[in-house]
Amino acid sequence: MINKFIPKTIHRVIVKALSIFLLFAVSLPSMAELELRISKTSDDGIPIYLANIAGGANGIIEADLKRSGRFTVIDRSKINNLPAYGAPLNAGAYSNIADYIVRGKTLNGGLEVELTSTSDNAKTIYNISSNSNNRRVAHQAADKIYEKVTRERGAFDTRLAYVTVTNKTSNNRMFRLYVSDSDGHRPKAILSSRLPVMSPAWSPDAQKLAYVSFEENTSAIYVQNIFTGKKRKISARDGINGAPAWSPDGNRLAMSLSISGSPDIYVANVNNGELTRVTTSSAIDTEPSWSGTNSIVFTSNRGGSPQLYRTSASGGSAQRLTFDGKYNSAADIANNKLAYVTGNRGAFHIALRSVNNSGSDRLSNGQLDESPTLSPNGAMVAYTTLKNGDNTLAVVSDNAKARQFLTSPVGDVREPAWSPYLNQ
Amino acid sequence: MRTTTIRSVFTLLFSTLVLTACSSQNVKDDTVGSGGDKPTVTSDTLKTDGNSKIVTSEQDGSEFNYLPGTNNDPNNTQDISLAGLSDPNNLLSQRVIYFDYDKAAIRPEYMVLINTHSKLLSKYPNLKMRLEGHADERGSREYNVALSDARSQSVKNIMVAQGPDSNQMRTIGFGEEIPIVSGHNSSSWQKNRRVEIKYDDY
Repeated sequence: MINKFIPKTIHRVIVKALSIFLLFAVSLPSMAELELRISKTSDDGIPIYLANIAGGANGIIEADLKRSGRFTVIDRSKINNLPAYGAPLNAGAYSNIADYIVRGKTLNGGLEVELTSTSDNAKTIYNISSNSNNRRVAHQAADKIYEKVTRERGAFDTRLAYVTVTNKTSNNRMFRLYVSDSDGHRPKAILSSRLPVMSPAWSPDAQKLAYVSFEENTSAIYVQNIFTGKKRKISARDGINGAPAWSPDGNRLAMSLSISGSPDIYVANVNNGELTRVTTSSAIDTEPSWSGTNSIVFTSNRGGSPQLYRTSASGGSAQRLTFDGKYNSAADIANNKLAYVTGNRGAFHIALRSVNNSGSDRLSNGQLDESPTLSPNGAMVAYTTLKNGDNTLAVVSDNAKARQFLTSPVGDVREPAWSPYLNQ
Repeated sequence: MRTTTIRSVFTLLFSTLVLTACSSQNVKDDTVGSGGDKPTVTSDTLKTDGNSKIVTSEQDGSEFNYLPGTNNDPNNTQDISLAGLSDPNNLLSQRVIYFDYDKAAIRPEYMVLINTHSKLLSKYPNLKMRLEGHADERGSREYNVALSDARSQSVKNIMVAQGPDSNQMRTIGFGEEIPIVSGHNSSSWQKNRRVEIKYDDY
């Protein structure tokens, strides 16, 4: 109706302006950074005070330590006139405020960071050399502090892979596979496709990602080097090619294939392609995760509902691991901890347990949480949760005391995969 | 093709409304973990486990029949022809089959629809189709790929038993990756648990 009254030229201009707007709207997500929001921090963690460091590294270190759920970062206003780094520090004077005081300075593009215990005035100084990604320098400093205080290796200087989707219910939908720092900064899209991309999995050397892509209108498993972009098709057999998971030695990929009818777990040698069948059930067997060099935990509905089972990577009988709840799936294992999805009474949560003991803790309380992935030290779990109708990433500490959200301004963010420790 | 999609979505919405209006007796246990056995219970039936959330999920039940009008009639003798594919009054224009939660079994009311497409495939041996399976967003993603693949296999298995050559049908499971609607409720989930029949050249 309205169209009738708008002259053709104006109509054309409107259409053109609209299409330019749409073009930008569609290309926006590729440059959008995830936004980190802290929803909960531990207030009974180890109290630590971080002095200002020129360049702002202390802010990155602070967010890292908070994310672990093991530290309570003391408000800067609690200590006045703290001697600048280099000047003598009588740390004992602050023992009623913090257990540790961190001071530091930038040095040759890197960082020099001093950790002082207020109980015995003991000082440790760390020199972190420069890096082309200067945020990594701060993450490495956070790892040093974390390790000294908790006696557990830090995992802040690591990466996340994740999938974003824009326009998910329209024909313009676009899937992108991203790699970012573990706090969501410096995202880089390494793949875009109009057809689904899913299930990213890191190689143990943190150089490559295996993933599932439907780009050729059937499912296939690819391995792509995240630095060179070079990619190789590993499996494109008839039916399902899904859920790739690297063996700890990086020579094999466990996966779910349906070449024999129903989906079963197979292990493919990445170098020569040799395929070993691991499970033989007529039910759904998928989502393998390695537990050590010769054991695989996977999801199967052989008992009537999806549950976790464990079997040898060379095949044989499987042992059921989960009994509570009617939906337990998507295991991820690191440092002997097992994170998984547990469904009950209409809601799906992330749970954490030890691989060998069945007692579990619930780590999340969303309605449809999924895709848990453990940091390599097992201290944190990233997962997907619904926020304002879209999927977004969350990171929760293993003690559930700290939670951060990594949200995108546009579209869905999902399927995080936490990288192993970085060697370079 | 596009108009067909729009039309079927419209049909869905319409049936949803109708069913919402007259479904107070169809109260169903919407407990996610309940796996397969989700018998329809009337609203005055007490749940024995005492803690299940009872949700009126009129869109979630097998009573939810997306087939149009009288076309879902076993004595249907309408024209089995390629022209029927684009005739909105022909059952062949219906190309979506819906499923129960965490199930790949075909609901009985879809047998006629599947049989009608099987007849077309038998009549035209060079005709090929793709059966694209989908799941709702609940549960883990790779499990849903397997589930949606099983749904497309279920349709194919029935079709093969009805005559056409198995090479005429290819199956794929897209999991929960390509939803029709984006809502996070039982009516959206029902619309997303589906197999879409896609003929290669039609």
